[in-house]
Amino acid sequence: MTVHITAGGRTRAVHISRNGDRFLVSINGRQHEVDVKVINGVWSMLVGAPTGPAKAGPYDTNPTTGPDEAGPHDRSDVGAGFSRPTRSYEVAFSPTPEGGMTVHIDGVPVEVSIRRMRRTGATAATHPSDGGPQRVTAPMPGKIVKLLVKPGDKVQPRQGVIVVEAMKMENELRVRAAGTVSEVRVREGASVEAGAILVILE
Amino acid sequence: MKRILIANRGEIAVRVIRACRDMGIEAVAVYSDCDRGARHVRLADRAVHVGGNAPGESYLRIDRLVDAARQTGADGVHPGYGFLAENEDFAGACSDAGLTFIGPSPDAIALMGSKTAARQAAMQAGVPVVPGTEEPLGRDVPDATIAGIADRIGYPIMIKAVAGGGGKGMRLVMTAQDLPGAIRAARSEAYAAFGDPAIYLERRINRPRHIEIQLLGDHHGTVLPFVERECSIQRRHQKVIEETPSPVVDRELRMRIASDAAAIARSVAYTNAGTIEFLLDESGHYYFLEMNTRLQVEHPITEMVTGVDLVQWQIRIARGERLTIDADAAISPRGHAIECRIYAEDADAGFLPSPGHIDALRVPSGPGIRDDTGAEAGGDVPIFYDPLISKLVAWGADRPEAIARMRRALREYDVVGIKTSIPFFRWMLEQPDFVGARFHTAYLDDVLRARAGEPFTSADDDRIDVAVMAAAINTGLHPFVGSGGRVLSDPADMARESRWKARARDEALRD
Repeated sequence: MTVHITAGGRTRAVHISRNGDRFLVSINGRQHEVDVKVINGVWSMLVGAPTGPAKAGPYDTNPTTGPDEAGPHDRSDVGAGFSRPTRSYEVAFSPTPEGGMTVHIDGVPVEVSIRRMRRTGATAATHPSDGGPQRVTAPMPGKIVKLLVKPGDKVQPRQGVIVVEAMKMENELRVRAAGTVSEVRVREGASVEAGAILVILE
Repeated sequence: MKRILIANRGEIAVRVIRACRDMGIEAVAVYSDCDRGARHVRLADRAVHVGGNAPGESYLRIDRLVDAARQTGADGVHPGYGFLAENEDFAGACSDAGLTFIGPSPDAIALMGSKTAARQAAMQAGVPVVPGTEEPLGRDVPDATIAGIADRIGYPIMIKAVAGGGGKGMRLVMTAQDLPGAIRAARSEAYAAFGDPAIYLERRINRPRHIEIQLLGDHHGTVLPFVERECSIQRRHQKVIEETPSPVVDRELRMRIASDAAAIARSVAYTNAGTIEFLLDESGHYYFLEMNTRLQVEHPITEMVTGVDLVQWQIRIARGERLTIDADAAISPRGHAIECRIYAEDADAGFLPSPGHIDALRVPSGPGIRDDTGAEAGGDVPIFYDPLISKLVAWGADRPEAIARMRRALREYDVVGIKTSIPFFRWMLEQPDFVGARFHTAYLDDVLRARAGEPFTSADDDRIDVAVMAAAINTGLHPFVGSGGRVLSDPADMARESRWKARARDEALRD
């Protein structure tokens, strides 16, 4: 399950799956094990250090004293079943009037907006990937009703590029950022599966 | 006194109710329409509705407040601060109705409420005042006359409202050319705020610090001064951070200022709690500024370093008791205390008020921390009143420990649902100028101007990542967060999150 979330001026694709009582969350190409406990509407989140290449960060244990000497927030809580050191956060949510949400991490508010998500068939219309081409994908199984662009067209942010009919509704899929259409992979009238790549931009 | 009506709301009503409880006295709350569910109402023994949301329809209605006291059998009235706390008519109306007003006499309120009369009282007591006009400059005094006075005092000058307070009707004038416009603006502001366009002039003291002396006076002729508070961290003439003792006042200077403050209070036979404010210039000279004839917002820091409960003493004095506080203990601080005034204001949007519903509240506590608040999770910050939601106070054995504890408390403090000035305080408490106590009354305005709106809230990459992960789990996967008995939300949270999810889905489809 992938959710696209904008925070701190950057949009990231976050993939979430379940791992027993925990979640596996992939962000920035690295995977974290996450444990959530809700206490009176406020979350306690234990976030495991990411898999993948090590980088300097909050999960580091002191290199001079070895990995067993964890910092005040580092918990090598093997007893709780985490395979890696974790960080502990208190998290609270409140909706914003603009339709986004403010996520408080240890009392520091972070404005977050969730653009598109894959759930009950809906998914992102575009997949911004760090530095790579934008891809417009089908949010759900459906039929291509209309192509609004052709290769070589220049598009503006949030410009509609393709109309997909699904669940008896027409959905205009838009690009997130400006670009040039490099490839249109479908034709009008075609049936597509959820997640199919429809248009690629540079 | 058996039962006290508190003619106020918010944190100060809660504070006074607590003092009543400590003394075995019953508390009567009053409330406006929107304050029906407020904390002070539930903490009180009795509560009386006094009218509509606008202060003029409720908390400023002398007739209704006096009626409420009569109806409930209250024998004393505590005005708190703000609203009618410095209104001699209210104090008089209470006395006329046979109620004990917990504050100074109507005469003292009226006398010290006039800035020019207060200046004269200070001069007669032999206390230095900022050079300026001794008589009020009423509406009929022509600009040309005022310009002549300003030339004699010397520029830059301050124009202030005779009935003033809270920075209203106050203008800094750098040159004679700017004078007429500033007079007009100050008069109009003063008239709007206080119903009195009279102004006076003072020489502008360069980079002054705000030093004030808390006093208690009983009805037996004793006036007791306390250790000074420094309130130089101000935004647009409103105090933002206060501390005691001042980092720049030594014992010798403290004794002189305190003794001068007490002399002014004695000269007007002052009773109950009051505060005399001074400006301290860069060469160590101090000047009388004004007197506040009420309990101050920042009274808790004095309580923290002296162990004296000032509100209890207000009540004890009002019922005729003699002051028995040790004079040396009152002037000899134990440790250091700092207060941050936490406002429902968006510090990142020029401190715009941010009223609304508080979804969740995490209040700090622990060693040395005191939080005076009327706010609570599930409550509202109404748009009609001062947006102060909490006074966070940290005490330490010395200033560095008080700062460290304040930083810890600010880090723990979380208000969800409305914006607050907490991010600003987290930033401020890290500033080398604050830590080094290098500031004056214009310091904060200068700093804010230089920052030009740069946000105080800047989450680091790590927190942003965690926020993104939390939002993703909350939005996309909540159904199975609740499953398996692993994590549970209460129904209200589930409903809110479900609505949020539905909205997110709608947006995904619309796009």
